[in-house]
Amino acid sequence: MALLEVEHLYKSFGGVKAIQDFSFLIDPGEIKGIIGPNGAGKTTIFNVINGIYEADAGIITFNSEDITNDEQYKRTLAGIGRTFQNIRLFKGLTVLENVQCAFDPVAKYSIAECYLPLPRRIRAEKENRKKSESFLEMVGLEKFKDQKPENMAYGLQRRLEIARALACQPKLILLDEPAAGLNPTEVVDVSHLIKRLADEMGLAVMLIEHRLELVMSISHTITVQNFGETIAVGAPSDVKNDPKVIEAYLGRGDA
Amino acid sequence: MALINSILTFIFITIISVTGVYILTGLTGMFSLGQASFMALGSYVSAIMVTRLGVPFIPACIIAVVVAVMIGFIVGLPTVRLRRDYISLVTLGFGEAITSLLNQFTKLTGGASGFTGIPKITNVWIAGGSAIACIALAAFFKNSKYGRQCIAVRNDELAAKSMGINAPRVKMVAFLTSVAITAFSGCLYAFFTTYVDPSLFGWKKSAEWIIMVFFGGSNSLTGSILGTFLLSGMPEVMRALAEYRSVVYAVLVLLIINFKPSGLLGEWEFTLRNIKALFHRRKPEDDNDNYSDTSKEIKNDGTIRS
Repeated sequence: MALLEVEHLYKSFGGVKAIQDFSFLIDPGEIKGIIGPNGAGKTTIFNVINGIYEADAGIITFNSEDITNDEQYKRTLAGIGRTFQNIRLFKGLTVLENVQCAFDPVAKYSIAECYLPLPRRIRAEKENRKKSESFLEMVGLEKFKDQKPENMAYGLQRRLEIARALACQPKLILLDEPAAGLNPTEVVDVSHLIKRLADEMGLAVMLIEHRLELVMSISHTITVQNFGETIAVGAPSDVKNDPKVIEAYLGRGDA
Repeated sequence: MALINSILTFIFITIISVTGVYILTGLTGMFSLGQASFMALGSYVSAIMVTRLGVPFIPACIIAVVVAVMIGFIVGLPTVRLRRDYISLVTLGFGEAITSLLNQFTKLTGGASGFTGIPKITNVWIAGGSAIACIALAAFFKNSKYGRQCIAVRNDELAAKSMGINAPRVKMVAFLTSVAITAFSGCLYAFFTTYVDPSLFGWKKSAEWIIMVFFGGSNSLTGSILGTFLLSGMPEVMRALAEYRSVVYAVLVLLIINFKPSGLLGEWEFTLRNIKALFHRRKPEDDNDNYSDTSKEIKNDGTIRS
């Protein structure tokens, strides 16, 4: 059984069929890309897997458990982390605190200790800070830990979002356009980082990306979506030459 | 002297209520227009306990806070799943319902003519001490795991949920904390004025507290307290101006909200570290230098790797 199994997923908004009969499997250590023109329903797939939207039909199984109707936060605790297309960091918190938030739902001290700094709380807080710092180090942001995220450069904010998602200690991470708005050197950096997530940390990585050179170079397989339908699945080189894919991206030729 | 004592006591009691509102509105971003009704609950329950049932003051306060929290839990259950604007509507309705109930149950509460005969127990020292204790509680809460989760939920509930944060639960904890603190301020209030009536606890009172939080800085506990101190102290200082006090009050609030929307203090908190930072303020250029240095490093990294 694969880590994540999505079977025959459907989701529509009014008359718009955002996802039609989408099926997907992913295992630890795999990087699978999802590409497609704007409005193809890529982010909606993430939102349904992650629990922001409820599926109209279909089954999502994660770690051998049916999570189709679970609440969003439960899915995260079960091991699905994600980043957002439009960066969604917590503005009132520092960079370090943004990452700490990932540990807070599972921090081992009681509500009563939130009002009084007893030894157990102090210990737990220290441990959380240390763990959070290690995640910042992983993405190279340890120097910015006391800054406000909104004051950082765009590329660094993207990294922070990845660090925050990693701090949830996911088994599967959903990256929604992690390279959008980055300069070429930053893109190279991010692609190295994503490879490390799969190779060294053994995460399953689902990747939505518009930069074809990035997705093509690091994905093991690619799924192409268009108007909510899957039009091609396969290795990057096969997908690239698929006539249907070319048509979806460039339109039909006259000849 | 007696006048100053009484003004200070009133300010301290308001500070306690606003500390509760800060946790709810400043920290978690929930607007409650029925918050004053929890102060009413605190006042009436503790007053009834002491005068009718002969319970000593401190246990009566604890019972009042527990009762308010239990009622708060029932109000909170449907509320915490709602969007911000609806929360204010639900709490507004609840608050007005409480004041009408207090008006109706004449036998128990004295109805519209008020509840009299409460012994005077609260003095400036009790109020001041309680205020410090409540502020400390709120400060510890802000820096705890729940405090961070509250800020996360206020900023972006969707992102918070995808970090594994149980948003309704976090909101409930914040709501009940604020209810407990506000109810406690009601106990102190009743035993200071020795008389309470339902009209004191309408939605205007709740709105006034929210104004105080925003005036001082909704992201800063220090700011909220400073705002309370200024806005509740000012009318007393300007007694000579009579009706014009409200005008000055309104102009002041409008000026702050227009020219400093984040409030007097913004996000600044009164901590040892921030005080030190005030005295050795780093030049902004230093920050910039730091910044470009690291971005260079990253670039170097990238080119080496590629």
